[in-house]
Amino acid sequence: MKTALHLQDADGFYELLLDAHQGLSREESELLNARLILLLANQVGEAQVLKECIEAARQSPK
Amino acid sequence: MAAAYEQTAFTNSYEFTQGAGYSLPQYPFVEPAEVRSGEVSRHPIVIVGGGLAGLTFACSLARHGVAAVLLDEDNTVGVKGAASRGICYTQKSLEIFHRLGLYERIAAKGIQWSVGRTFAGNDEVYSFDLRQQSAYNLSSQPPFINIQQFYLEAYLVDRIRELGHVELRWCNRVTAFEQNDEEACLTIATPAGDYRMRAGYVIDATGCHSPFRGWVGASVTAKKGDDRWCIADVRFTRHPPVERHTWIEAPFNENRAVWQHLMGDDVWRIDYQMAPNSDAEEMSREDVVRERLARQFGADCEIQIVWVGPYAYRSECIDRMRHGRVFFMGDSAKVVSPFGARGGNTGIADADNLAWKLAAVMKGRATPALLDSYHEERHEAACQNVLVTNRTTRFLRPAEGAEKLFRTAALGLARRYEFARQLVNTGRMAIANPYTRSSACGAGGGRPVQNVSFEWPDGSKGTVNHLLQWADGRVLLLLFGGVSRNSLDRLRRLAQAAPVCCVQVLGRGETASAVEHVRDPLAHLQGACHVSGQGWALVRPDSYVAACGKSVDADLVRAVAGAMGAPNLEREPG
Repeated sequence: MKTALHLQDADGFYELLLDAHQGLSREESELLNARLILLLANQVGEAQVLKECIEAARQSPK
Repeated sequence: MAAAYEQTAFTNSYEFTQGAGYSLPQYPFVEPAEVRSGEVSRHPIVIVGGGLAGLTFACSLARHGVAAVLLDEDNTVGVKGAASRGICYTQKSLEIFHRLGLYERIAAKGIQWSVGRTFAGNDEVYSFDLRQQSAYNLSSQPPFINIQQFYLEAYLVDRIRELGHVELRWCNRVTAFEQNDEEACLTIATPAGDYRMRAGYVIDATGCHSPFRGWVGASVTAKKGDDRWCIADVRFTRHPPVERHTWIEAPFNENRAVWQHLMGDDVWRIDYQMAPNSDAEEMSREDVVRERLARQFGADCEIQIVWVGPYAYRSECIDRMRHGRVFFMGDSAKVVSPFGARGGNTGIADADNLAWKLAAVMKGRATPALLDSYHEERHEAACQNVLVTNRTTRFLRPAEGAEKLFRTAALGLARRYEFARQLVNTGRMAIANPYTRSSACGAGGGRPVQNVSFEWPDGSKGTVNHLLQWADGRVLLLLFGGVSRNSLDRLRRLAQAAPVCCVQVLGRGETASAVEHVRDPLAHLQGACHVSGQGWALVRPDSYVAACGKSVDADLVRAVAGAMGAPNLEREPG
């Protein structure tokens, strides 16, 4: 799992993400996120990396 | 007749049948000699339970010419009224039945299929055609055949009677069991009275309510959910295509899942997912079943209901598949949900795995140590099958919240993107499980060999099963490519010391140096044995590779020994 910055445009991506959620209900937002996770997971592909990402998300402080 | 023998309850109290129903064969009860004489008989092998696993095991022993007694508590095959009887048999199972000599009957009665379609709502999410997949298309048997389980069981009974060696005792129920290091003792109730029998080995194939688990103190890892299903086996006036159709969210079933499959005799199995914790009696009432069918097929479709079976599934896996003299197989050893046909097919594989090993031990060809590999191999398979089926049930019955959310997301994406179709899990069809940690398998071993074709020296067609039949319970050593004179001498000595049959397999244009040789111009046999280039593969009687290698050396001798449970073959030829 990469922990150093890999995003080409971090601010740009963050903005896109927020824009995509704008005007959505909580349920619609959750579904959008779920679809996005599955799409991104397929971009990553590697089982070990995905496992580490899931673990990191679970461990991350609030 | 003693009044003490309680007839098996053929009902689980919530099924009904109407129309033609299924008519099952009845086998006569014959009073065992022990009942009259009061003697305690002794049998080397006693099989308890005449279902798919028990009968496959018995038939396999009979084919090896090994004597056994099979005890079954009723006088028929297919427990009347019991839900979740298998219908879908894999290529591996069909290959096993081919070896046992009943494949032709199965093929004549059953329905071949290879196309599957999965729907969500009104849309087709994805489809597959197994015949287009290279993993399936080289075997002499098709990817799958659908047939009612009791037909297979009845064919097995007929075949066992033909072959002899195994005595089938109907209406013989085991009521007590004990064992020590040397043997087991069984108490058996029959309509004519009780008797006792001693046994060298006991095969528990009694199914998911096995009394042996308690008798031997077996521990079981189990999981039970709230998912409920109801099968309707029906005949139609106009019927759907001969394909496996699965709906994740069927609009005609309150957005719950539906399975649709054809079996023998033009009977269709329609399997409906019900609301969680549904009442079995309510969901299997005729008017309720008819209403469900009408919603799917239209009110004007004439439907004859053959059988209705409501069920709840669970997963269970015994932690040790052998306890002393007792071997657990089929549902006695593990229970899975029906998705992917991993119940019956793995029971058949359990039987096939143990039968040749026990036969080899009985004939003095293998040491009893080989029997320990049964647990190593089939427990690994059982755990894998429990894992895979549990994943399917989680997709089909997701918990409220995140699990449901991700399913909705996956289904939405699957309509548009190919990758997401792989997330849609309507059952992963059973496969011949690989063995990765077996003491009986060496390097490159533990992989199944498909029943592919080759040419005999006279140009006629043969299959792997023919070679196995010729080897007659010995391991088959296939030598691909040229063999040196030195190697041939060494192989001759090996074949004298161990139960191994050697065959040279020639590629296109190669010439024979061994008397026993076959031709493999398309390299299908070589591919099936997972060998590339020059080398050897040791194929077991259950059509699994025990090991493979490059040259005729000490590794090969060790592999032969290992496959027969005798690690010191070179020093102590036996």
